[in-house]
Amino acid sequence: MELNVKNEEKGTLVAVTGRMDAVSSPEFDKELGKLIDEGNVNFVIDLSELDYISSSGLRSVLATAKKLKGKNGQILLASLQAVVKEVFEISGFSTIIPIYESVEEAMAAL
Amino acid sequence: MKNRGLAFKLILLVLSSVTLIFLLIFGYNYMYSRKIIIENVEKNAMNLARATVNQIDIVLTSIEKVPENLAYVLGRSLCAGEELNDLLKYIVQNNKEIYGSTVAFEPRAYDGEKERYAPYFYKSGDEIKYSDLGTASYQYFFQDWYQIPKELNRPVWTEPYFDEGGGNIIMSTYSVPFYRTVEGKKGIAGIITSDISLSWLQEIVASIKIAKTGYGFLISQNGTFVTHPKKELVMNETIFSQAEARGDEELRRIGREMIHGESGFVPFRSILTGKLCWMVYAPLSSSKWSLGVLFPQDELMADVVRLNKIVIILGVLGFVFLLLVIVFIARSITRPLSVLAGAAEDIATGNLDVAIPEIKTGDEVGKLAQSFDYMKTSLKQYIADLTETTAAKERIESELQIAHDIQMGILPKIFPPFPDMPEFDLYATIEPAREVGGDLFDFFFLDDEHLCFNVGDVSGKGVPASLFMAITKTLIKTRATKGMTPEIVLNQVNQDLSEDNPSLLFVTLFLGTLNIKDGTLEYCNGGHNPPYIIRASGEIEAVEMTGGIALGVMEDFSFQSKRVVLNKGDAIFIYSDGVTEAMNSKLELFSEKRLEGELDRLKGLPVGDIIAGVMEKIHEFSQDEPQTDDITMLIIQYNGS
Repeated sequence: MELNVKNEEKGTLVAVTGRMDAVSSPEFDKELGKLIDEGNVNFVIDLSELDYISSSGLRSVLATAKKLKGKNGQILLASLQAVVKEVFEISGFSTIIPIYESVEEAMAAL
Repeated sequence: MKNRGLAFKLILLVLSSVTLIFLLIFGYNYMYSRKIIIENVEKNAMNLARATVNQIDIVLTSIEKVPENLAYVLGRSLCAGEELNDLLKYIVQNNKEIYGSTVAFEPRAYDGEKERYAPYFYKSGDEIKYSDLGTASYQYFFQDWYQIPKELNRPVWTEPYFDEGGGNIIMSTYSVPFYRTVEGKKGIAGIITSDISLSWLQEIVASIKIAKTGYGFLISQNGTFVTHPKKELVMNETIFSQAEARGDEELRRIGREMIHGESGFVPFRSILTGKLCWMVYAPLSSSKWSLGVLFPQDELMADVVRLNKIVIILGVLGFVFLLLVIVFIARSITRPLSVLAGAAEDIATGNLDVAIPEIKTGDEVGKLAQSFDYMKTSLKQYIADLTETTAAKERIESELQIAHDIQMGILPKIFPPFPDMPEFDLYATIEPAREVGGDLFDFFFLDDEHLCFNVGDVSGKGVPASLFMAITKTLIKTRATKGMTPEIVLNQVNQDLSEDNPSLLFVTLFLGTLNIKDGTLEYCNGGHNPPYIIRASGEIEAVEMTGGIALGVMEDFSFQSKRVVLNKGDAIFIYSDGVTEAMNSKLELFSEKRLEGELDRLKGLPVGDIIAGVMEKIHEFSQDEPQTDDITMLIIQYNGS
């Protein structure tokens, strides 16, 4: 898994590439935790390059979302591949975490 | 060389280098000293030869002077009778070099009457003796000493000869013709001679002493040996006959040069001793004879040979000394090394308590020993740590194994679980990933008609997930009681899990109740993969979603149930994402598509066979790729009441 962080006008854009599973998710937690500690609270996660997400990955996203909720921040997901989107929908997480078709839409919604 | 010890290699390399250096120096020294000696020998030999030649020349010249002067006198005055005899006697008596002397007259030249007259005086012991050579038996006219100068009309030295009837010794004669004018006409009147005894000449030449066996010799203009230490050669052999006898072309060449009055310095094998010599040769200026002087090489080289012997002995002694020194050094290096090697072998076999020998040399070997000791101590410490760590790890692993066993123990294991109930067939399996995982399944009757069943998947793996799974299973069992609908069960379990969930674990859960009397299936899906319904007609359809969410995430979430009716022969197949997300080495997922294909292929078979068939296919798909998630499947086929 690779993370590419970019500071945009309305928030922080984090592009995730590869796979989010039990092995790689802690890295996501750590990196996002660091960004939050630095004061970033609004995130758009670009998942166009994410090929797979396991339940551990879901948990990482959920943990981040919960953390941001306490800080009046938000995390929006954008450009999900079908497989990943299905996981969010089946697990019901799509009802908690907003999902957008594109990064632009997500940015606009921040 | 390869398997030899350090000492051997050191000795071999150092000594061979030293030997090479020594041989080079020795060789150069030998060649150079030999060259100097040869140059000196040549110079000295030439000088010696010239001196000897001069000495002989002086003698021969003084011999020549006498008859030459006498010829002058006799050519002008008619000295005869007692007067002539006295003169000749005086000459022989007063010239120690001259053995004998005569004046041999032409026929009638003495007194106009005598056909032949030749008064001859010669030394015999201390006396001077007289004889007339003008006898019929001697026939001096035909002697070389008479005939050759007469014919050549000039003085000559004769070849050596035995003067039988005259001096009766081996001699050589210098003959000078003299002339008188008779009736106005100048004609030869006779031959004046002076003889030199070859044994006397031999003494002169023999006085040349070179080393022990060096010698000189004279050859005449024909190459005949005039003097030679080997007496039988004198007069009997020529240098050419010797060359012939020895088959020595070089000697022939030397002989030619000698009789042509040339001088030189050549290597030569002695006729007398057979030793290798250098020979210097030079012509006499008086006669056309040539002097050869031999210098035995071995004797002249004796000094340098002795020097070389000493050098070699010193070299050998030095060599032996060096050998001992190197052996000593090598031993002093290798002895501690061998001891260390022994200790290292002990360590290699696992004996870390072996004592490293203390080497207080302070050099590299000493440092090596120190490092070695340090390494041993570190290794010991490391092994101790490792043993401890391993023990701890083993303890944890065994505890995890126990946890895993307990976790599996709380899942139903006996199939068919309700053999006395023909209304349905139920089969389930779980194949845990290597670690303790978070999948769960369960089934039990709420009352006589309603079978409750569920399949869940806790997020994450390991001990937290398994604990969460146990909690979930227990909560479901507690909440699912008679009269409860699936949505109520999920609402309550979700509430219980969400209330205090600091680690943010969650569980996806599919829970259903089947009325075994009429096949009505009421279900609620908490974020789990939608199960399939395999219709008796062969159709396979995904169970409709209920819009639920994984449990433990959101408090107060309101779950909704849905209802579907199973007809006789219909079955519901519930699974965890370990099935569809099983991976092969190309990181491809097994996927819903493959699962649906498998269900389509296996439909109609007994429920156990369907699950076994899918499992087999998953194994076939993922090959040796390690399983990362629990694989859980549960199937219920409704057979009608």
